[in-house]
Amino acid sequence: MKAKVGIVRFLGTNCDRDVYQAVADIDLRPEWLWFEDQFDPKEFSGFILPGGFSYGDYLRCGALAAKAPVMKSIHEAAGKGYPVLGICNGFQILCEAGLLPGALVRNEKRKFIDRWVELKPETQTKWSSKARAVIRLPIAHGEGRYYAEEADLQKLWDGDQVWMTYRENPNGSLQNIAGVTNKNKNVCGLMPHPERAMHEWMGGSDGRVIMESLLG
Amino acid sequence: MMSELDAKLKKYRLSRDEYRRMEELLGRAPQGVEWALFSALWSEHCSYKSSKVHLRKFAFKSPRVLQSMGENAGVIDLGQGEKVAFKMESHNHPSFIEPYQGAATGVGGILRDIFTMGARPIALANYLCFGEPSAPRMSALVDGVVAGIAGYGNCVGVPTITGQTEFHSSYNNNILVNALAVGLFAGDDPVVTSQAKGSGNLVVYVGAKTGRDGVHGASMASESFDEDSESKRPTVQIGDPFYEKLLIESCLEVMKRDLVVAIQDMGAAGLTSSSFEMAAKGGVGFRIHLDRVPLRDSTVGPEEILLSESQERMLLICEPSKFDAVKEVFHHWGLDAQALGEVWDGPEIELYWRGDLICKIDPRLLTDNAPVYERPYHPWTPKNKKAKLSAPELNLPEILSSIEGTSRRWIYEQYDQRVGAKTVRDCEDSVAVVRLPSGRGLGLVLGARPHVMRVDAQIGGYDAAFYPALELAAKGFQPLALTDCLNFGNPEKPEIMSEFVAAVEALAKASKTLDAPVISGNVSFYNETMGQNITSTPATGMVGLRDEVLKIPRSHFTIAGDNVYLLRLPGVELLGDQMGRSQGFTGDLDVNKVTQFIATVKDLALTDSVHATRVCGKFGLAYALYRMCTDTLGVNVGSDMDWTKEKLYEVIFVGTDALEGSLQKAASTIGAECLKLGSVQEKTFVLGKRSFDLAQLHQSYRNGWRMHFGQLA
Repeated sequence: MKAKVGIVRFLGTNCDRDVYQAVADIDLRPEWLWFEDQFDPKEFSGFILPGGFSYGDYLRCGALAAKAPVMKSIHEAAGKGYPVLGICNGFQILCEAGLLPGALVRNEKRKFIDRWVELKPETQTKWSSKARAVIRLPIAHGEGRYYAEEADLQKLWDGDQVWMTYRENPNGSLQNIAGVTNKNKNVCGLMPHPERAMHEWMGGSDGRVIMESLLG
Repeated sequence: MMSELDAKLKKYRLSRDEYRRMEELLGRAPQGVEWALFSALWSEHCSYKSSKVHLRKFAFKSPRVLQSMGENAGVIDLGQGEKVAFKMESHNHPSFIEPYQGAATGVGGILRDIFTMGARPIALANYLCFGEPSAPRMSALVDGVVAGIAGYGNCVGVPTITGQTEFHSSYNNNILVNALAVGLFAGDDPVVTSQAKGSGNLVVYVGAKTGRDGVHGASMASESFDEDSESKRPTVQIGDPFYEKLLIESCLEVMKRDLVVAIQDMGAAGLTSSSFEMAAKGGVGFRIHLDRVPLRDSTVGPEEILLSESQERMLLICEPSKFDAVKEVFHHWGLDAQALGEVWDGPEIELYWRGDLICKIDPRLLTDNAPVYERPYHPWTPKNKKAKLSAPELNLPEILSSIEGTSRRWIYEQYDQRVGAKTVRDCEDSVAVVRLPSGRGLGLVLGARPHVMRVDAQIGGYDAAFYPALELAAKGFQPLALTDCLNFGNPEKPEIMSEFVAAVEALAKASKTLDAPVISGNVSFYNETMGQNITSTPATGMVGLRDEVLKIPRSHFTIAGDNVYLLRLPGVELLGDQMGRSQGFTGDLDVNKVTQFIATVKDLALTDSVHATRVCGKFGLAYALYRMCTDTLGVNVGSDMDWTKEKLYEVIFVGTDALEGSLQKAASTIGAECLKLGSVQEKTFVLGKRSFDLAQLHQSYRNGWRMHFGQLA
C-alpha cells in the first residue's frame, strides 16, 4: 500500500491540484484534507499546504486559513514530528499559525513576481534529505518577502532553522531567506514552488528533490 | 427643445428607427422595464447589429468544431478524448475609465465564458494596445491594466501564458484590453450549453449578490467616448477573483455530476441577456421573480436588477429533483443558490416584482429580432501600395530601446505563468505551450499587428490569421482554430466600415485556406474618442497542436557553431518601420502560397536537425536575429542584407549542417528562397560590415522599458 500524503484545501487554494499531481508523480498516494474537517495524523506519512490565495488574501495572507478547523490537526501532526510542508501561501499560513517563525510581507517593489530562481539549501530537514548544492525552482508571489526582527533572524541562524536562501534576492527577503524550518526540522515553509518543477518539460525537475524526501 | 420621447431614447441609447421597430414588434408603445430590456439587448455589444451580416463570412464546416459562434465559447475536438474551449473578448471601454477593475473584470468575464461550457480554464492570454507613454494618464493605465490582469488571473489560479502589447498614438484616448481564455475538457467531461429546456425546471441564480455596478454597461460600451467619459466610472464593475475561484469549482462540479440542464454567465447586460438568450435558444418561457434575486443593497429596483453587471454570477436551469444536490455543492464551496422561478412552455418571459407581473414579453423579439444594419462601406482598394520602397537606416540600439521594440518583461513577470503545472513554454517564448493530459502540446499565439493594419486593412486581415499560424508552424504545431476580437472605430463612418469589411473578409479567407476556423469572438465598435478612431485592430488568438513537448525548437540560439538560415516567401514587403515614419507596401499576397509556406515550415520544424526557429516580424531581419541572442551566444552574418525591411513571410532556422539540404529542397518545391546567413558564435553580433557590442544591445533592450515608464515600480 502506498503511503498517503494529506493535501490541505482551503477556499481559494489554487495549487492544490498541482501538488496532488506532484505527489502522484513520485508514486505516493495524495489525499484531500478539507479545511472544515479534522483527521488522525497516524494514517499519513506527511502533509502539504499548497499555494494559492486562501480566502482571497483578505485580512492578511494566510491569516484566515490559519484559524480553520483543519489546522488543529496540522498542529497535532507537527507536534508529533510528521513532515509538514507549506508552499507559498501554505508557508504564509504556517507562519500565521505560529508553526514557523517570521512573516511574509509585500515584495520590496510591491509587484507580483513570476520567475525561476536559484536556491541554496542551508540545512537538512525532513523535506530535503537529498538536497543538492543548488536547486532551481519557480517563484510566483506578491507577498514573499521574508521578514523577522533582527534578533529573531540571528536566532534562526543560530538554531539552524534557515532552510533555503535565494542566490539572487528577487523580493527583498531579509538575509535572502526563501524557506525556514522549525526547531525539529519537520515543519518547513518555502516560497518557491517545487510542484512546478517536477519534469524537464516544465523547464526543470529540481522540485523532485523536495517531494521525493517523503519517500524516506 | 428635446421631446420627452427623445430624452427617453437618449437615456436608453436607442434611435428613432429602433423605437419604431419596437412599436411594430410589440404592436404598441414600449412600457416600463421593456425600455431597459430593449436598450440592453439591442445594444451593439449584445446584438452585433452592425457586424452580423459580415460575421457570417467566417462560417465554414470543419469536423473538428464541436461548438461555434452562438454559444459562450467555441469548442474544438483534439482527438484522443481531449477537447478545448476558447474565446477572446474585449474590455476596452471599462479599462480606459477604471484600468484595474476594467481589466480584472475582463479576465473574470472571459473565464466564465469558458467554464460555463464545462471546461476547466487552463490558460489566459491578453492583447493590449496602449497609447504613447507620454500621453496623459498612460503610465497609470499601463500600471492599472497589468495589475488588474495579474490580480485577477493569479488569484483565480489560471496561468497567463502569453500576450501581445502594442503602443501607438491612435490608442492615446482609447486603449484596447482584450482577454483570451482556454479551457480543457478532459476524459468524459460534458460540453454544456445555454439552451434552456423542460417546462417546470427551475431557473437558479448562483454566485455573488447583485448591486448597482455596471448598470447600462453594455450600452455604454457601444458608444464613443466624449469629454464626459470620467462620469461613466460608476458603470464599471468590480471583480472578486476569490469568488470566481469558488464559482469555477462549484459550477464544474454540478456540470460534471450532470445536475444542470443549461448554464450561462451573467455578463454584459447581466440577468437580462442571460435569461432572454437562454429562453430564446430553447424556445421556452421563464417566470422570474426579480425580488428573489440576492441583493447587496435592498434599495436596488427591478430595472437595475435586470441591467446590473455585478460580477461572478451565473444563471442555471435544473430539474426540481436535483435542486437540493445543486444547493449542497454550492454550499460546500461557500456559495448560495437561489431559485428565481421556473421554465414554462412560454414563449413569453414573465417578470414579477413582489407578486405583480411587471413585464410579459417574447424573448425572441429582443434576441432574434434585433435590428440588423448594412452599414455603408466601399469595396477595398489598397491606398498605400507603392512601386518601390526604400529601407530605413538600421539603428539597432534605437529600435531595441524604443517602446515598440523593448522587452515586455516588466509586464509578464507580474503574471503567474505556471499555476496549473501544465506550462511548457511561457510569456518569454514566441509560442506559449501547455501540456495536455495525453502528453501532447497545445500551442497558443496571439495575432493581428496594428502596424500592418495601418499599412493596409486587407493585408492586415490576412496577417491576423497567417502570422500566428506561421508562429505555431515554426514550432512544429498544426494550426487548428481561431478566436477574434474585432476592435474598430465608429461603424457609422464608411471609411471605418470599409476597413472592417476588408479585414473580416481577408481573415475569413485566410482561416478557410488554413482550415483553421474562427470559432468564437467578439466585436468592439465605437473605439473612438472625440472623433479620433483607433487603428483598426482585429486581434486574434490561435491554437495549434503538436504530438510531444520535449523537442519544440527554441526561440533563441542554443549551440555555438550552429548554422543560421533564412527561409523566405517572395510576396509582400512592408517598410520595416513602426516608429511613425511613412508607411507602404509592395507586392501581392497569395493566400494559397502563404498557406503552403506555413505547412512547409511546420514540417521542417519537426525535423531533428532544427534547434531554434524565429519568425521575422516587426522591424525586420536584424531585430529578429537580435532577439535570438542570449547572454553568451550571438550570430555572425557574412554579407549585407535588407536589415530593416519586413517581408511577409520569412522564418529563421537554426541547426546542424543536415538542415541545409532539407531547407533547400523544401524551398525549391514551394518557390521560396533559402539563404544561409551565417553561424552562431559566442559573444558576437555581426551583420555584414557592421559589428555590434552584444552586451550593449542587451542593455538597450532590457532598459528600454524603464526609459519610457521610469516612474513605474
